[in-house]
Amino acid sequence: MAALWKTCQQCLRYGFTNASIYTSITAVNVISKRNFKAHWVAPTLRELQRRKVIEEDRGGGPKIFHRSTFLEWNYDAEIFAFSNRLGEKFNDSSLRAALTHKSYIERETARLSDIGVESNLQFQDNEALAQKGGEIMSKFINGYLRAVFTQVPEELIRAMHDYLTSNPTLETVAKHIGLGDLMLCADFPCKTETYVKSFKAVVAALAESSGEERARIFVQDLVVTQLYGQDVNELWNPVDPIGNLTAILKREGKAEPEFRLIRQAGSNSILAVYYVGVYSDKNFISEGAGESLEVAKEMAAREALKKFFHTEDSMRALPFGRQLKNIQSKIAQLENQPNVPLSEWISPKIMSAVH
Amino acid sequence: MSNSHLFLPSGFIRTPLQNGLGRYIPQLQRITIKFCKSHGGSRGVRDFIESDLMEFAKTNPGTVVYLKPRRHRSPCMVAEYLNGEREYLSCHEFSRDEVYKWLSYMCTRSGIPVMRFRKYQHTDYPTIQGVWNPFTHQAPEINVAEFPHEVLSKPINHGPTATEQLIEIFKKTQLEDPANKPPN
Repeated sequence: MAALWKTCQQCLRYGFTNASIYTSITAVNVISKRNFKAHWVAPTLRELQRRKVIEEDRGGGPKIFHRSTFLEWNYDAEIFAFSNRLGEKFNDSSLRAALTHKSYIERETARLSDIGVESNLQFQDNEALAQKGGEIMSKFINGYLRAVFTQVPEELIRAMHDYLTSNPTLETVAKHIGLGDLMLCADFPCKTETYVKSFKAVVAALAESSGEERARIFVQDLVVTQLYGQDVNELWNPVDPIGNLTAILKREGKAEPEFRLIRQAGSNSILAVYYVGVYSDKNFISEGAGESLEVAKEMAAREALKKFFHTEDSMRALPFGRQLKNIQSKIAQLENQPNVPLSEWISPKIMSAVH
Repeated sequence: MSNSHLFLPSGFIRTPLQNGLGRYIPQLQRITIKFCKSHGGSRGVRDFIESDLMEFAKTNPGTVVYLKPRRHRSPCMVAEYLNGEREYLSCHEFSRDEVYKWLSYMCTRSGIPVMRFRKYQHTDYPTIQGVWNPFTHQAPEINVAEFPHEVLSKPINHGPTATEQLIEIFKKTQLEDPANKPPN
């Protein structure tokens, strides 16, 4: 009987320590297993956590350390992995220069001179690269937008470009390709401007190392994809859509736009809705809805302009990756050729530009 | 059928930085493998390092591999992802194949925490033709119609009923074969 109990115990213990692997059921990122913990473990951990929280509150938040302060850090390996992760080949010197900031060089020289060592540092900073990178990135983005949005006025192209090159967007991109740990800068946690500068410098370094073609594809794959999921009509809207619509139809030689009430419901209530349609010479152009007649009219005019510019909700999906292979040359060509501004926009003129 | 018994957070499927739209960027930034050089629990990890690790490092050049031999510690691996998340996995008494399996699992993850997917698809453009509203497909005649209306007040014609269809069939048979006895 005693022998049976002992064997049972051993079997049980064997079964539990040879843990089968389950996915985590807690919010902490630990792939956990079944473990038996002694009775004193939980209270100890609770007390340690309590003390940690007190210390953190006293110190103004949890302490953060740069990844390079860890023992397991190899900057050369990290740089190698960075270029392979993106699938690009960089010149070593260009990439290192792109990741080095002036603040870092200043800090290092000051530190060395404090110690008394002759500072013979041969660091190159990324000021020039960042400047160049910003320019070529803008060029590539404009080329793509003009090639894909052929019917769109230049004002909307500019708005989309400004959105894509804005600091928040570029900072997100820079963070998610791993620049945060690689940058050599004096500020930690790194400022937005530092991230943006590094990213632009990396683009320039890529253009230097692998050529403009690869840099163009890099910018398309990483920066322009941030436009996906964003409604372009939220970025820019014409100030006077009804006036613009009238002007456009006049330039095209069509009849004046005529606004007609199509549907309405709940006119005397808070939830009133009016549908107004725009007609030109009794041909339906578009309709728009609003809570009052004026709003509905403006929305209808906006919808009509969206239709002309091909930026409706049902417009074609933005091409990326392999879909761009055929139009890369067109993109390169349009980098220096702005679209027609709104003041000159008419459809026959656009058609004749052969985009 | 409910999921409330699961402590997993739930969400919609997503990917960092539109990964895959332009190019695919492997999200595993670095992996740190800590093991003991002599203890038995690290045997699988040691075997893995001796045999399969080089091949893994060659096939994943975008991931930095750090090895930390530490005495009297059980083996573990910590994966760090590009979005800043870390994942810890204890490899105590794993076999060499298990280590390889879990390492390749880490490679396929993005740093987004494990969660229950509410839907297995996601789109930023859920509608092409426009969301239905009560005015969709309504005849414009209702705008100027005076109710009760001849046509609009009646129920929509759904076509002939079964009885009417049978009568039609019967009449057709009568016309084709007047000599035959008509079916009752």
